[in-house]
Amino acid sequence: MNKKDRTTWYKLDLSANVYPTLQRKNFSNIYRLSIALKENIQPELLQRAVDLTLPRFPTFKVALRRGFFWRYLEPNDRPGPFVQPDIENPCMPLNFRSNNRYLIRIYYYQKRISLEVFHSLSDGNGSLYLLRTITAVYLRLLGHDIPNEMGVLDIDAAPSPEELEDAYVRYATSKFCPPRKQPKAYRVRGTLEPFYTLNIICGVIPVDKALQTARQYNVSLTEYFNAVLLYALMEKQAMDHPFRERPLKIAMPVNLRRFFPSDTLRNFISMVYPSIDPRMGTYTFEDILTQVHHYMRYYINDKFLNADITTNAATQQNPFIRIVPLFLKDLVVKQFYIRVQDRQSSAGLTNLGVIRLSEEMQKHVERFDVLMGQPFSARTNCAIISNQNTLTINFASSIKETDVERIFFRKLVQDGIPIKIETNRRMEETTCHTV
Amino acid sequence: MSYCVNCGVELDKTCEICPLCGTAVYNPNQPVDFKSPKPYPEKKGIIDSPTSYEFTILMSIILGTIAIVCGLLNHVLPTNTRWSFYVIGICILIWIFLLPVFFPKKVPIFAGLLLNGGSIAIFGYMISDLHPGKGWYPEIALPIIVIGTILVLNFYGFTIHKKSSFITKTALLFGSFAILFPVVEILMDLHFQGAIFLTWSLVILACCISIDIVLITISFLTGVRGELRKRLHF
Repeated sequence: MNKKDRTTWYKLDLSANVYPTLQRKNFSNIYRLSIALKENIQPELLQRAVDLTLPRFPTFKVALRRGFFWRYLEPNDRPGPFVQPDIENPCMPLNFRSNNRYLIRIYYYQKRISLEVFHSLSDGNGSLYLLRTITAVYLRLLGHDIPNEMGVLDIDAAPSPEELEDAYVRYATSKFCPPRKQPKAYRVRGTLEPFYTLNIICGVIPVDKALQTARQYNVSLTEYFNAVLLYALMEKQAMDHPFRERPLKIAMPVNLRRFFPSDTLRNFISMVYPSIDPRMGTYTFEDILTQVHHYMRYYINDKFLNADITTNAATQQNPFIRIVPLFLKDLVVKQFYIRVQDRQSSAGLTNLGVIRLSEEMQKHVERFDVLMGQPFSARTNCAIISNQNTLTINFASSIKETDVERIFFRKLVQDGIPIKIETNRRMEETTCHTV
Repeated sequence: MSYCVNCGVELDKTCEICPLCGTAVYNPNQPVDFKSPKPYPEKKGIIDSPTSYEFTILMSIILGTIAIVCGLLNHVLPTNTRWSFYVIGICILIWIFLLPVFFPKKVPIFAGLLLNGGSIAIFGYMISDLHPGKGWYPEIALPIIVIGTILVLNFYGFTIHKKSSFITKTALLFGSFAILFPVVEILMDLHFQGAIFLTWSLVILACCISIDIVLITISFLTGVRGELRKRLHF
């Protein structure tokens, strides 16, 4: 490590501090972004593309270290990360000291390149820049002419300071901090798969058909999918016949770059919780749509989001919290997450939106996929991304039952949306207890 | 292309069973494609653990230093007792107990537990040698250590089995107590009084047997088990 690298280090951003705390032997907060090209991947060229690209993204070429009060990231000059053949069970837990201390993994399978990122480094939008740039460099090595635009960064340029900034701190300016605690939500129960299994069910949908359906209901696509997931959870809770019903809530990350201009490649998201409460009465699907639509319009704006990030920033900047040693912080944060935060949502849903590429690059790309990774508790997570007319919905869960996924996709079929299903599950005939 | 008759979704051509509802695909016009690559690889990834022996080296140095320093002090200082043997013994005991942590891949838990039992027996022998009493070691300590180790190994052997339920594990735990405590009292009675007269261990035995009978009954009654799981889930 040269002298400059020894003096360079990065504080973890506001949300990045939580993820290493939740690290367990069988859980790491890792997500996966994939891009499917039109030709089979050549691993040697992909490795060269990674080696050429990564220095341009210094916050991804790092190792996680423990300080006395906080963790931090320091530049990592060890060899790697090395591209490897893809595996059946993605988003495996990551030991911070393995993989030459890199916190990203790159896989290839047939025509697909997959990038797995530990959430402390960046959110999905930040990592998409890395994936698109690696792919563009790879395509250039194949002899194609790909311009540096629409999410592809120039690997010969120096990274701008704004790309490395903790944008939360800049925008946390609210004078009011709303309370964090919310009532407990319904949690999907199921039979845990053996360690380590991640079940994926992917639905591939034509965007135009999905948009047409959402427009019929007068809602956006994200609102529509949120409503369908809430509907699936409501049906699942009714199937469970619980002793006491609970509200159904979805934890949905919102990309703050839409509201607070920033070029940061690090985490810059906030959580919102669209919800319904079946204890108040029976909801029709239209009722759920109305509820989600108004919730989104009311809460997703710069004022509420600013208040939310200010609450988080205030906690982190509190001098009494700052002087507490890291191991005590870990204990408290982990318990808070297990007892409060994790119980606030029934499922996770993220929509990375439409990925636009330059015309030159688009002709080599078939589709994108995003996978939220292993859920902290036994439940299912849903991640959506679209490119041109292909939208993919990936459910990831570590339980055997597929009730939520089944109700979700059947509802889409009922609404006239054609779906193609792919999976990595090894199913036995009629393993579901309700069909 | 094949569609699931239950769900109405199109299935990947390599899909034999609908992943949503478990219904098998029967399409005479387009049989399942076993030749094309599946959408996901079939090779399972293995979590790599770091090859760092820093903790092993650090702990070995700390324990070794304590043992050597105490041994030297005991040798140098004018004293009639061999007190350093206790410290050295405890250091060795801790090191052996930590072996599965030091070498997680090389020391299986089963062997680690057996080694722990053996080291406790040796440590006990060392103490009995330093304090030659009235034969407490062969008559009480050694049989308890042997039976305790067997029970722990037995419990571990059952609990690692995937199909052993929470009820089975609990029943086994109470079953182990039902064996251990009467044995302890029998050994103590034989050593101190020369005759067996069970008192307190009988109470424990009765409680453990009652709990085990209830648990075994529940485990055989599928309906009751399901009802309990439903009512008591948390």
